[in-house]
Parts: sequence; structure tokens; C-alpha cells
Amino acid sequence: MITIKTYDAVIIGGGIIGNCVTYYLAKSGLKVALVEREDVASGTTGKSDGNVLIADKQIGFATELAYASQQLFKELKQELSMDFSYTERGSLYVIEDESEWAVAEDYVRQQSEAGYPFRMMDREEIHADEPFLAEDIIGGIEIGCDASINPMLFAFALSVESAKLGADIYTYNSVRDITRRSDGSIRSVVTEKGELFTEKVINCAGVWAPEIGKLVDLEIPIIPRQGQLLVAESTFEVARRKVVEFGYMMAKFGGSDYQRNIDPKLEELGIAFVFERTTDNNFIIGSSRAFVGFDTRVSIEVMRGLAKRALRFYPVLKDINITRAYAGLRPYVEDHFPIISDVPQVPGFYIAAGHEGNGIGLAPITGKLIAQLVTGQETDFPLDHMHFSRFNSKNQT
Amino acid sequence: MNDDILICRCEEITLGEIREAIRNGARDVNGVKRRTRAGMGVCQGNTCERLIQSILRRELALTVPIEPHTDRPPAKPITFGALGGDHD
Repeated sequence: MITIKTYDAVIIGGGIIGNCVTYYLAKSGLKVALVEREDVASGTTGKSDGNVLIADKQIGFATELAYASQQLFKELKQELSMDFSYTERGSLYVIEDESEWAVAEDYVRQQSEAGYPFRMMDREEIHADEPFLAEDIIGGIEIGCDASINPMLFAFALSVESAKLGADIYTYNSVRDITRRSDGSIRSVVTEKGELFTEKVINCAGVWAPEIGKLVDLEIPIIPRQGQLLVAESTFEVARRKVVEFGYMMAKFGGSDYQRNIDPKLEELGIAFVFERTTDNNFIIGSSRAFVGFDTRVSIEVMRGLAKRALRFYPVLKDINITRAYAGLRPYVEDHFPIISDVPQVPGFYIAAGHEGNGIGLAPITGKLIAQLVTGQETDFPLDHMHFSRFNSKNQT
Repeated sequence: MNDDILICRCEEITLGEIREAIRNGARDVNGVKRRTRAGMGVCQGNTCERLIQSILRRELALTVPIEPHTDRPPAKPITFGALGGDHD
């Protein structure tokens, strides 16, 4: 039982975003509490791969933001006392044919001109470097700065460090209500185990953020987009770095004229090949995308599709075992930008959610931006693209 | 008991590491698994799950049973070739 307590800010949601926000706020000297319905990292964070990428970001602002977040991971590796399996091996887009090559060259030229470490790898170089890659792959794009982490360990490391800085981490404690003063501003967060008085609340509940929004009469347009992953047994080094099919960006953003050469059945399941090495000598294979509500069951159809697509790029996988499959829910927003925002119609209420498949990589910059916003400092990036007001037509009060 | 005792043989996780995970907030088998990788190896917890349940009961001084971890497919390891090959 929590006795009645007062905080400078209360963070709702114990995933990677909530933990980053808690850590940066605690580091700013605020007295904060994190409230999580289950355990730390028990939702989307515990079902994610560990992407810390700029490779899959749209050119311009999205890349800048992801790059800034990568730099923060390097700082956090020094700051946090627990290890979170940070590795910086780079990533590789593999290119299947000449039509992709042309699109890829243009993309690499733009990213290189902007100063990011992108470069083309030709057929000879890519096969020398990644000897198990399917022979017909004509080349690739190497992105030198891309990294990986273990997202669960990262969330745990942050919660332990935040607690050292004086934050209270309340797990297995549901939020029941948010009370407000007569002017609409935040007064308290009512939890299952007690009432937490605060003037500031940060909604970091990911796919569940709309539920929290309803408590203050907001309609937050985040919907779950399911993804399934396969985990392989520990084995030899199949690939040196993260490997992604170039068509992944197309599967992710859609709406492009570009069409991959892929079985229509796999296209329908939103399958695109992603290979992630872990530091535990095994690897994770993705990815799939589907709007199926809050359903986190894996389907044999998607498992088969993931295996099939993986074999197309790495035939050597045929004799390697899959030990586990699972599904998670990405917090999807229609314009693919997260919501990192204050909410003028509810003074003291902030949202940090809706990162879709980018929540792991963008977590540190999200935490830092929210801390700047909450403490009234100038933010490192303009928040216009990510402001909640972009959905205002739905939230006129 | 000695903290060096191996509990999860597949991932080589010791009693000490599991106790530390419980000190850091793990309350069930999934919580231990996410913090330590115990039960994430080839046998998927077939060997260590009951041990982890009993460690949790003891460390948390619980009398109620601890739920098993979430079962994940496949029921036993299957190769990429068998799952994703063209033979149906």
C-alpha cells in the first residue's frame, strides 16, 4: 500500500519509453514516480527486437532524431550501471535486383550528402563480407552507425538507475483515474494502491495510451499493429551485422509505387526480412505487420512466411532450429511520427507514445525531449511534427 | 544455498543471478526470464522452470503457487527448412 504521496511528475507505463522519461526527469532533479500495471518491460518492450537504427528512417527530420538518439545510447552505456548489450556493428540493406539498386543509390546519395555514414556495397564486396548471403543478391547498403541493444535489459537498467536517483517505481499497480482541478489541470493519479498527487502526468502507455487518454477526455489515435518474430537457437555467425531487405522500408511505409519481387501471400502478411544478431549468439528473424487489435497470438501462417522469406536471403538457415516465436504490438500512428507533446487543453498532461516500430531506438531522445518540455527548457528539436495538436480536429473541446 | 549453483543449464544462469533478478523486481517466471534469459535456451525452460518457481516462492515468501512462464510455439525446435520450405 502506497500512502498518499506528492510528486513533481508521474509517469504512466513501464516500457522503454516510460523508463527513459522517468530516468531523464529524475536526472533533472524532479521527484518522480513511475506506475506500471504489470512488470517493467512486460508489454511491447518485451516483445521487440533491439533496433537502434537510422537505416529505416525517412530522410530528413526522422533520421536526425534517430541519429541524436543513437548518440544518447552511447552516453547511457557509460551512465547506467547495468549492462544492456549495446553493440555497434552497423546494418546492411540487401538489394535483390537492378530496380532496387537505382532507388537505393538515390537514397544513399541523399543520406551521405546529409552527413550520415551510408555507402553502397557491390556484389563482390557484399558476398566477401557476408558469405552466407543468397548468391543472387546484387549488392547492399551499409549503414555504419547502426546499433543494437537488449530492450528489456535497457528498461531494467533504467528503472534501477532511476530508483537510485530517488524515483519511485510502482509495478503491478494499475492506474484507475486521473483527477483534475476545476480549471482542467492535473491534480492526482489514482492508482490501485493509493493516490499520487502531482501537477504533471506523462502518458507513456504505448498501445494502451488511448485508455489513459480517455481518463482526461482525450482521443489519442494510436492503434496496435502486430508483429511476429522467430528466435533461432545459438549457432555459428550467420551474418556479421543486422541485415534487412531493402523492401522493408516499402513494407513499413507503404503508399509507394515501388513493388517488391515477392510472393503475394507474403506481401499480404506484411512480411519483410529482418535479421538481428543478439549478443547471446543467437538471432531473431522478423518481420510482419498486421492490424488485428490486441491479439498477440502467433499464427502458423506468419511463422511459415517469416521462415520462407528468411530462407530466400539466407539459404544456410534451412538446418538451423527455431526455438521460439512470439508477437508484440507496435503503437501505430497514421503519419508514422510518435506523439511527443504537451496537451494544451489538459494543462500538465503530456504524451510520449505512438512510436510504432521505432520505440526502442527513439526512447532516449524521447525521454530527453519530454524532460526538457516538462522542466520548461528549450527542446533539442522542434516538436511540431510530433505535437498532439496535429490531431486537433478530433479533440476540439 | 550457494549462489554459484547453475539453475538454467542452456543459458548458464546461476541461482545468484536469479536472486538478483527477484531483488530487482521479478515476481514471476516471465520476470526472471526477461531479466536473466533463464528458460530462453534450447529446452525453453523444461528443465529449470520448476526450480525457478520454487526459488520465487522462497525468496518472495509466498505460499501461493507461481504461474508457469508463457508457453511459446513451436512446441519443440523446428528448422527453418521444415517450417518455411516449399513442401506443404
